Amino acid sequence: MNRGPILAPAGADGSPLFELPEELAIDTDIARRVIGEFIRAQLHQAGFERAVLGLSGGIDSALVAYLVAEAIGSERLHCVLLPYRASSPASRQDAEVVVAALGCSSELVDVTPMVDPFFGAPGVTGSGGDDVSALRRGNFTARMRMAVLYDRSVTWGGLVVGTGNKTESLIGYTTLFGDSACAFNPIGDLYKSQVRQLAAAIGVPEAVIRKAPSADLWPGQTDEGEAGFSYPELDRLLFWRIDKRRSIDEVVAMGFDPGFVARVDRMVAGAEFKRQVPPIAKLGPRTAGVDYLYPRRRPGSARG
Amino acid sequence: MVDSLRIALAQIAPTIGALDDNLARHHELIGAARDQGADLVVFPELGLTGYQLQDLSSEVAIRLDDPRLAALAAATRDLSAVVSFVEEAADHRLFIAAALLEDGEVRHVHRKLFLPTYGMFDERRFFAAGDRLRATPSRLGVGVGIGICEDFWHLPVAELLALDGAQILINVSSSPGRDLAATHEVGLGTATSWRTIMRAYAQLTTSFVIFVNRVGIDESIAFWGGSEVIAPNGETVFSAPLFDEGLFLTEIALADVRRERIALPLLRDERPELLARELARVIAERAGSALNLNAEPGAAEGPGGLP
Repeated sequence: MNRGPILAPAGADGSPLFELPEELAIDTDIARRVIGEFIRAQLHQAGFERAVLGLSGGIDSALVAYLVAEAIGSERLHCVLLPYRASSPASRQDAEVVVAALGCSSELVDVTPMVDPFFGAPGVTGSGGDDVSALRRGNFTARMRMAVLYDRSVTWGGLVVGTGNKTESLIGYTTLFGDSACAFNPIGDLYKSQVRQLAAAIGVPEAVIRKAPSADLWPGQTDEGEAGFSYPELDRLLFWRIDKRRSIDEVVAMGFDPGFVARVDRMVAGAEFKRQVPPIAKLGPRTAGVDYLYPRRRPGSARG
Repeated sequence: MVDSLRIALAQIAPTIGALDDNLARHHELIGAARDQGADLVVFPELGLTGYQLQDLSSEVAIRLDDPRLAALAAATRDLSAVVSFVEEAADHRLFIAAALLEDGEVRHVHRKLFLPTYGMFDERRFFAAGDRLRATPSRLGVGVGIGICEDFWHLPVAELLALDGAQILINVSSSPGRDLAATHEVGLGTATSWRTIMRAYAQLTTSFVIFVNRVGIDESIAFWGGSEVIAPNGETVFSAPLFDEGLFLTEIALADVRRERIALPLLRDERPELLARELARVIAERAGSALNLNAEPGAAEGPGGLP
């Protein structure tokens, strides 16, 4: 029984909020139900009742905040705003709008005084951050935010909820042990287009859904500007290549540019290390992840 | 023989590895089913242990003479129940098993025949595959055939159970929900596939099909529930909600089996002898011990030097 194409929802001015490729449309009611069960189960099985996450002002973390609030109640959610001096003030304002809408606990931790002194510290090249590469500074900032969130995990008594989506994970647009670090991730199997669809369904503010995705490392930076392609076309390609197992020849026959396909394939393969637990040299009779295979959550695994 | 049967679908969320907790839940729901006049209560695949067990499998395994299973059977006086667990055989092979408990006894045990070991599944790594398929007589008055999840993704299972005397086919499952494409019947690809299979099996075997799928979360996986009872004409008698835990009751009329089998005598017209003959030929050809007259040009030679 085919229910026909699902269209992107319209914003206040009547225009579509975003471009939704037809094949990526999901049933948002089912997604909210599954994710809600998932969030509650992950917390319960670990012996926690609360959650903490870093709220950037972007759509991914905003969506996760809404999903967590829907699953466990906003009073159990703590959002940490973690701006760096180069972050856009508009991002912070958007994050504050989300916090106000949800009525959850929040705090602002400016990571600038943690990040900048590192560069130029004894034995560390650079000074104050401006003369080091965007890669070093971006990675260090992401990992400092991770460190703050895991500290807040202790003080708030909640698990750190991941906010990375499937698209950025597949192409490796993440910092290992930085923004990808979490106790569990409710949206890591949703492409950016699906994140947008779910965000619209759950009521994330329109301004957050409409604005161009950005790592917010320098003024004017956007994901799509940096990568040179749009999320809808990238999501479609990843969906057909990975989820639907289409070969390179098949997706090229569908109309995808061969150079684009080759480039994305390289990015996906090159980021494999970011998606997996690091390998352990096999020496003993029973090795974690190789032939010692237990579910993460089993009798006795919850916090006492 | 009773004309109308009250069926209870125990769509539960087992706790992984917590055998005692899950046993207590089974006792509680068997009691609730009896209180509500149920003739049969069906629990999902591995309802006593949880699904994603990996190396926990050997730690939660029980023998068929385990007193805990006997205690569960003892709770089924004047009632039939299907429960599922990890069975450890005398030779220490581990099976995914489902037992029909009736009138205080373990009436029948089915060991899962088909162990999915592909995609997100890794069952063959941890379990042995069963090698017997039998329908069983039941206090319900008709034969019952039990399959476990993937067993029903193989065509001969339903046919054999029906030919062996089953009028009620029971499938107990731990089916992970996935593929949320909006175009699917209920927004979930897994549910669409299962519903297609259940209706086809009910119609083609002219039998009732009872499907009980668990809910809850193991690791990354959300099990989708959606337990169902399908009539011998392929129509839906009852659909439990997706993802909600609960004990759901419905009634079936056994006269529907008779009516359908007389109107549509598919089982009468089955050709098991033809099936057996052609299967014997295919088996011999695939083993390379018989000439494959239908081999495509260029097909690899079999071990016997035959094409």
